[in-house]
Amino acid sequence: MHKNGNNPYEPMPMRIARAYYESNDRSLKTFELVFEREADCKRFFEAYNPGQFCQLSIFGKGEAPFGIASAAWEGEFVRFTVQKMGTFTQAIHRMKAGDPIGMRGPLGNGFPLDEWGGKNLVVIGGGCAFSTLYALTKHIQHPSNRATYNELCVIYGARNSGLCMYKSDIQSWYGREDLQIHQAVDVPEEGWLHHVGYVPDVVKEVAPSPENAVAVVCGPPIMTKFTLPVLTDLGFAPETIFTSLEKRMKCGVGKCGRCNIGPEYICKDGPVFSQAELQALPADI
Amino acid sequence: MSDLQSDIRKEAARLLSENSVDVVIGFENASVPLRPQPAFIKRAEDAEKLVFNGFCQNNLATFLNRYPKTTRIGLVARGCESRAAYALMVEHQHPRENLVLIGVSCAGILDWRKVEARAGENVLSAEEVNGEVKVRSRLGEFTFDRAELLHDSCARCVHPNPVNADIQLGETLPEGDKALARQPIAEFEVLSSTERYAFFTHEAERCIRCYACREACPMCYCAECFVDHTTPRWAESTVGSSGTHAWHLVRAFHQAGRCVSCGACERACPMDIKMTYLTDKLNDDMQSLYGFEVGLDDTSQPPFAAFSLDDKDRFVS
Amino acid sequence: MKQVQIEKNALPELIQRWAQSAQVVAPVKKESYTAFEVITSPEEIELERAHNTRYPLKALFLPQSEVLFRYHNGEYLPAEAQDSTRVIFGARPCDARALTLLDTVFEEEGSHDPYWKTRRAAASVVGIGCDQPCESCFCTTVGSGPFDRSGLDVLVTPVDGKYALEAVTEKGQTLLANLPELSASEQKQVEEIQQRAASQMKAAFDPAGVRDKLYAIFESEYWKQVQQSCLGCGVCTFLCPTCFCFDIVDETQRGERVRNWDTCMFSVYSLEASGHNPRPSRLERTRQRLMHKYAYWLDHIDQIGCTGCGRCVRYCPVGLDIREMIRRAQAWEEA
Repeated sequence: MHKNGNNPYEPMPMRIARAYYESNDRSLKTFELVFEREADCKRFFEAYNPGQFCQLSIFGKGEAPFGIASAAWEGEFVRFTVQKMGTFTQAIHRMKAGDPIGMRGPLGNGFPLDEWGGKNLVVIGGGCAFSTLYALTKHIQHPSNRATYNELCVIYGARNSGLCMYKSDIQSWYGREDLQIHQAVDVPEEGWLHHVGYVPDVVKEVAPSPENAVAVVCGPPIMTKFTLPVLTDLGFAPETIFTSLEKRMKCGVGKCGRCNIGPEYICKDGPVFSQAELQALPADI
Repeated sequence: MSDLQSDIRKEAARLLSENSVDVVIGFENASVPLRPQPAFIKRAEDAEKLVFNGFCQNNLATFLNRYPKTTRIGLVARGCESRAAYALMVEHQHPRENLVLIGVSCAGILDWRKVEARAGENVLSAEEVNGEVKVRSRLGEFTFDRAELLHDSCARCVHPNPVNADIQLGETLPEGDKALARQPIAEFEVLSSTERYAFFTHEAERCIRCYACREACPMCYCAECFVDHTTPRWAESTVGSSGTHAWHLVRAFHQAGRCVSCGACERACPMDIKMTYLTDKLNDDMQSLYGFEVGLDDTSQPPFAAFSLDDKDRFVS
Repeated sequence: MKQVQIEKNALPELIQRWAQSAQVVAPVKKESYTAFEVITSPEEIELERAHNTRYPLKALFLPQSEVLFRYHNGEYLPAEAQDSTRVIFGARPCDARALTLLDTVFEEEGSHDPYWKTRRAAASVVGIGCDQPCESCFCTTVGSGPFDRSGLDVLVTPVDGKYALEAVTEKGQTLLANLPELSASEQKQVEEIQQRAASQMKAAFDPAGVRDKLYAIFESEYWKQVQQSCLGCGVCTFLCPTCFCFDIVDETQRGERVRNWDTCMFSVYSLEASGHNPRPSRLERTRQRLMHKYAYWLDHIDQIGCTGCGRCVRYCPVGLDIREMIRRAQAWEEA
């Protein structure tokens, strides 16, 4: 009855190519999915923009939204990092390479990269919400993209070093000239060479300049709540501060109604919003 | 009824001006004829908004749970409402010392749908005068006997007088006939199980899972209702499914020995589903098996909520 | 487009004619209300008993429970196409207009809902206007009216012992083939009936500026009043012809991914896996309902998301009246 692409509720058949734990406590697991159908793959990468998300689907377990953690140039796969929380995430954590899984996406608006040309980018992430910021950083790092943007400063905090995602790749960033990386953990740790403290305090410490800059903040609500005033104090205007919002989602395509803030649907008009846009919306989050 | 109304207003004003309560829960007129709304009066001067008539169809005890236990509540309480208040007190939902029961003897709630069935969908006003109900609708003027408009549960009411109220308004009415009240149960009991099931499925098939019955019921106050539990999902939400059957049957069991037979569930239902036959039967069982009737004092525990060493356990040994 | 008329007692024959090539769906009598069902004979149609069906027309296009697809051993199995041709007879204009509002959600360019779209394309809607609108009706207040043609393929007007039928769309023209056309004076008579019905209705509130006022009082104490007696059940949303929120669940017993109507009035609606609930109390939830209908819908398509059918007013268990809520909002002054 419905070919995929015509039915927004039909998941694309995918296969898990790689599955590995990010954290020692096994609460974070990364999956790299490949497409079973060539046409799906083509259509996906034509539409994909960092900051977007997908609904992952397991028949019998339902669906849940996850930010895409890979850049298109990395290959014909889609990366997600999943924190084990409820029924669905527990089910996906039990899966391994070779297992089939469904995916609907890319969904949402993604980061407004075409507005950020020539700007200094300040990327601030906390915990497992860093995944789409990782995708953004990877995207920018590619030689064909890098020259479009100016300076890149990445601040990434995790509760402890074990919970830091993409460890080995991020480790290699310290040797790069094209970005500044500031990692942080909440409390001092033996052998930890970088910042100690909550992300808002690290932002204060790093004190990125608002001059010709945009800031993107993705983290747990409490981190975002305390980081935004720091950026405001540093002189970032609301139009230049971006966040990615989360809410309970089902359809992911702006039809089921539940993820709205005011007239905006987080799944369709977001999840990326500027502070200026959010200030114009009713406080319903 | 109008005497009761002015008595209620006086008492509410007094309690509030004496600072004996923080809020009085009663009814007030709203914008739709025959549909007075629950009212939450906090100032003595607003007590004159309170109304009381046969069309006050909600069980006000359902609002007790909305308040912290420290709030001193004055509750306008008819027979069933006072029993529900006691049932809630027994279940520690509100302390007795922070509840003032403004008891009102009740001649029964009038069913606005019965009025519409007789006077058409556009009823403009209704007035109770000496046991009659004078209705004005677009189809004309009608006079009905109060008895023909009574809600089914009220026609079977056994306890019209408020139980152990702090204030008693209205004349004490005679208790209802228990045998008469039991009649629908007796009629149902002689049906075969196939016939009973047919009746049940016929009623349940139009359920739209709006849970108005649950929300209108004073005894349904769980922070998470079993139907909302998803890990695991006990009852599916698909309409017309086994989930709907589970909803009605399990809710009835959760009400056994707790339900005060007020009928608020049926009055709330937008699809006119009968459901009191289930809870009435279970309450009847609680009486005959355990000699228990809910809401008559503030200490007796409902059988399913209490455990004692000499409980019958024939099914075990 | 053509306007025709038939004797009232010729209606069964017309229904039979339509039934040759379509399923006819019409209000039938249930014990205490009327409901849309597929009919096998015109005698089943019940138009007098109740002004409108209890359950809204939207259910014929967005069923309360609908199988999106099935799955078995990890394989996706598409659901059967719901493309039977239907003629829906006896819809009220409020319900039909609501379909056009829902079209803007479900037939969005580039992201349409195939289930809705298939049903809509395969159905014609024949509506009967209301020559005697009810006390609880307020369609004229919200930009509709008792003879509003939105969402209809044919509009029927009762005229003495006859029915005047007006084709509103091409589909409607086809349904009215070979029927005697109205003369100019007869058309005028129909118009008078329609206008009289609309003029009988009192404005329930002044819709001008309602959106801006609601936004202005979003953080005010007004909402504490509104939410006081609300029970938080789903009656208003499930009976509402314009509400469309749904949940998607996998029913493991049958291997189906199903969508079911959901409601912003339930606390679990917005409850997140972490336990955080952005709408933790009745206040936020009742506010969401009113804002959605009377502000956010206007933001999206510049139309009020309510067609004044009055079901929420009639069936709210605690007698809450959305018209009164809007009136109070309009009158609200911050202390």
